[in-house]
Amino acid sequence: MSRACRQAIHASLRERLLNKAIIQLNQVKTHFPYRKNWRGQPAEWLRAVDGVNLDIVAGECLGLVGESGCGKSTLGRSILCMAPVVSGSVLFHGKEIQGLNDAKLRPLRPKMQMVFQDPRASLNPKMTVLQILQEALFICPGFDHRRSLERSAELLDTVDLRPEHLFRYPHEFSGGQQQRICIARALATEPEFIVFDEATSALDVSVQAQVINLMADLQQRLNLTYLFISHDLSIMEQVCHRIAVMYAGRIMEVQRAQALFGSPRHPYTKVLRDALPVADPRQRRELATLPGEVPSLVHPPSGCRFHTRCVYATDVCRDAEPRMSVIDTGNWVRCHHHEHLQANDELKAQPLNRSTEIKETP
Amino acid sequence: MSDLDFKQLAEKAAADHRRHRRYLLRLVFKKRAALAAAAILSLMVLAAVFAPWIAPYPDQGKGEVNLADRLQPASFNHYLGTDVYGRDMLSRIIYGSRISIFGGLIIVVAAALIGVPLGLLAGYREGIPGAIITRVVELVLSFPAVLLAMGISIVAGAGFATAVIALIIPWWPWYTRLVQGEVISIKHMLYVEAAGMLGYGRVYILFRHLLPNILTPVIVMMLLDFGPAIISIGLLSFLGLGTQPPQADWGLMVWEGAPNILNQWWIAVVPGCAMFILVTAFNLFGDRLKEVLSIDSNQ
Amino acid sequence: MMKSNTSVSQPVLRVRNLKVDFPSSRGRVRILEGVNFSLYPGEILALVGETGCGKSVTAKSILNLLPRSGVHRHGEVFLDGCDLMKLSNAAMRPFRGRRIAMIFQNPQSSINPVFTLGEQIFRLIRMYLSDEIKAVQQRLNISGRAAVGQIAKERFEEVGLTDVERLLKSYAHQISGGMAQRYRIATALLSSPEVLIADEATSALDVTVQSHILKLLRSLCRRKGTSIVFITHDLGIAAQMCDRVAVMYSGRIVETAPTLSIFEAPRHPYTQGLLAAVPRLGSGKRLANIPGMIPDLANPPAGCRFHPRCPQVMACCKEEKPPQQDIDEQHQVACYLYGEHVPCLPTGHSRQPQGAIVE
Repeated sequence: MSRACRQAIHASLRERLLNKAIIQLNQVKTHFPYRKNWRGQPAEWLRAVDGVNLDIVAGECLGLVGESGCGKSTLGRSILCMAPVVSGSVLFHGKEIQGLNDAKLRPLRPKMQMVFQDPRASLNPKMTVLQILQEALFICPGFDHRRSLERSAELLDTVDLRPEHLFRYPHEFSGGQQQRICIARALATEPEFIVFDEATSALDVSVQAQVINLMADLQQRLNLTYLFISHDLSIMEQVCHRIAVMYAGRIMEVQRAQALFGSPRHPYTKVLRDALPVADPRQRRELATLPGEVPSLVHPPSGCRFHTRCVYATDVCRDAEPRMSVIDTGNWVRCHHHEHLQANDELKAQPLNRSTEIKETP
Repeated sequence: MSDLDFKQLAEKAAADHRRHRRYLLRLVFKKRAALAAAAILSLMVLAAVFAPWIAPYPDQGKGEVNLADRLQPASFNHYLGTDVYGRDMLSRIIYGSRISIFGGLIIVVAAALIGVPLGLLAGYREGIPGAIITRVVELVLSFPAVLLAMGISIVAGAGFATAVIALIIPWWPWYTRLVQGEVISIKHMLYVEAAGMLGYGRVYILFRHLLPNILTPVIVMMLLDFGPAIISIGLLSFLGLGTQPPQADWGLMVWEGAPNILNQWWIAVVPGCAMFILVTAFNLFGDRLKEVLSIDSNQ
Repeated sequence: MMKSNTSVSQPVLRVRNLKVDFPSSRGRVRILEGVNFSLYPGEILALVGETGCGKSVTAKSILNLLPRSGVHRHGEVFLDGCDLMKLSNAAMRPFRGRRIAMIFQNPQSSINPVFTLGEQIFRLIRMYLSDEIKAVQQRLNISGRAAVGQIAKERFEEVGLTDVERLLKSYAHQISGGMAQRYRIATALLSSPEVLIADEATSALDVTVQSHILKLLRSLCRRKGTSIVFITHDLGIAAQMCDRVAVMYSGRIVETAPTLSIFEAPRHPYTQGLLAAVPRLGSGKRLANIPGMIPDLANPPAGCRFHPRCPQVMACCKEEKPPQQDIDEQHQVACYLYGEHVPCLPTGHSRQPQGAIVE
């Protein structure tokens, strides 16, 4: 396929996506001051999110996967205008929301909500569940005490809790129940878009399954759009339609969930997939590892961010930033060599580990 | 679901929470020392409140001189003996406890009332307001507290009121520090962020989320500060900078008894012991309360 | 990969009927109610369970690391025929670290923050490896100090830590989590212990780092003949690197079996539920879940502690704790569904399942 042809397809797909996209991120950069000079002005920046383009389509669940410190939580917060975006644009239903002041954001807040990793820390220990839910309800118009009571009971019912739980304090619940209260609070404002920031990572396997099933049911029933942030690929495949892979402040690859696991395009995605311990002793294999350390977000590597740890890295990777190469609708990869690698059977056959100095000795 | 149902559910939960609070209270008194401390505290407070009815010689307690009975040792007429002016020591102790308890209460409450709001502000707005408050706190704390209080008393004239004010001034910065630290650790909690995500403003978050969550350590600190506050008032009186004779004050009484300590030891020792018992009782009770509250928050 | 000779050789570590009580505001809480397992030479045993099931308490009580006040331990822990439960704290010292080592979930906080890594590992080398120091000294003809440094360097390289000189001068907070865990493994294996207890050793790490650590543990322990008790909540890790799996629920091991048989044919309803709840790549199916919650330990259900959540609950489950039954030589399960052992039942009770089986 010629480059021009591909770009044409890209353009048309993008247009199609744009019409349905609920969230569009364009070159979003979120930097935090890292070190200050003697005048108190930031001399260095921590580039947590550094030029992210991403569209989230209405009704989908988009997964965002990456290792700790790659900026995935900051990206989630940037979308909800809770992090200092320094440049780029965040469109919600096609309207710019980045840079709006608090007063202008307030009417939009109910439409976008977030559920955090640690349910215990996200519920005020001095407030009852009712008060917590009312806090969310009272920002919507037309709620008096009586109606908020009824609606709160309804919300608890939605997340499989009972009305008598309304008058309890958060510490009286288990972790899984606390997370369901958090979900109920997020649903209270009837949002269109919810960010789940590692929302199931702190939960046990059996409880995690309960919460994930609940999330999937709610999405269908209430026609919600999710951004599901996690470090755990195996859950992602279960709940997400598309998955974005993030590394050192950049998105490396976006693909449909099944395709991402079947034929990952980016070498980093492949490592992530192959490093996952699969819960099946029949599929025992050498777990993939990465050489070196996670790059610093203050001084990120030049060119492709992954080149310092990539086995396929060449000079091009060090010098030039790879462009987004579209695979098909809404799916793309950012790698200089992805076509070459895809064609090369070697990538499929050989597990990606360079740093296996530690050989198994029988 | 009807109103009635909700009311029932709320009542049931409230009953459970009441039961939990009662359980905590029982836990406090499960430790004998705390129970004894609480008993002594309530006795002393009652005695202070009803001093005119309890004291055997209320007039002497207020300062009336009775030269006929000077320097009597303990007897059935005067359970704790009499002082240089022939005043009944027990009555003086009871009247003196009014000054100590009342003074301690004012100092602690006023220090908290000044310190807590400043601490909230300093912790929540870490920029310029925070920096200014922190500097002021550091400045005040860099003076030795009692020396500062003495200086103020000397300039403003001795007396109970100036002594109390002179002690409040070096006292409040401790509350500011405590609250500032607590707020800084709490304001990054996810529930604060969740409220921000709902579009709530700073003032709402301050009063709804931060204030309720810092109250427990503040209350514990107030209880534990009672003892030092009482001692400080006594110290100022002992130095002649606090309560003036003929009023009864434990520190003042120790000073009055000091010249005769070898012959009539009880005049100095009895008020000293009274102060020791009261302060120890406050400390024991405060410590136990802190213990139980920390057990509760860990569960 | 599966050890076939496990049943033949003598176990290195044998835990029999381990019970631990903790004091609490609502009376004594039985955290462990009779834990039994054996660890055979060179094997990796996974101890799998959810939060609060007593995995970590088991590990800590083996080494007597539980808080002193009010905690009661009963039972037997045999290491090489020596009952560790009978030993005083002082008598435990030669065992701790030297013959049974332990690594924890949060590597940075389990390293002393006020000494450099070098100072700490040097001290351990002098403590454990005086013979080896002498040998190295003679071999390379260097001072004792240099020999210690040399050994430290070798051990660091063994766990894949490069840039040794800089690391020896670093403090715990200056290194990444993966490096800290590798350092902890280096120090834990210094004395070639017979048993290594890894308590959620990789749970705080990223997947790519985790795979490093897992490989490292496996290959090093194979080489040194160290047996591992790998405590984890991640069934993937159990499947990938362990020889046998013991599943814990609420203070008891409910099922023990070789990895393959537990994943292929789980017997205990809890194990079945747990395995069904694990997300699997490529299945795309809806996750099954276990209804209900883990029991309140202060007020546990009578009989089998799993019975309120069990889809195949029978009358006898509610009355008496099911004993350990042998499915075969290596597969034990504590459930009335298997084996011939049925407690005396009042007439009218049957062994028929009462609930429906979840899919």
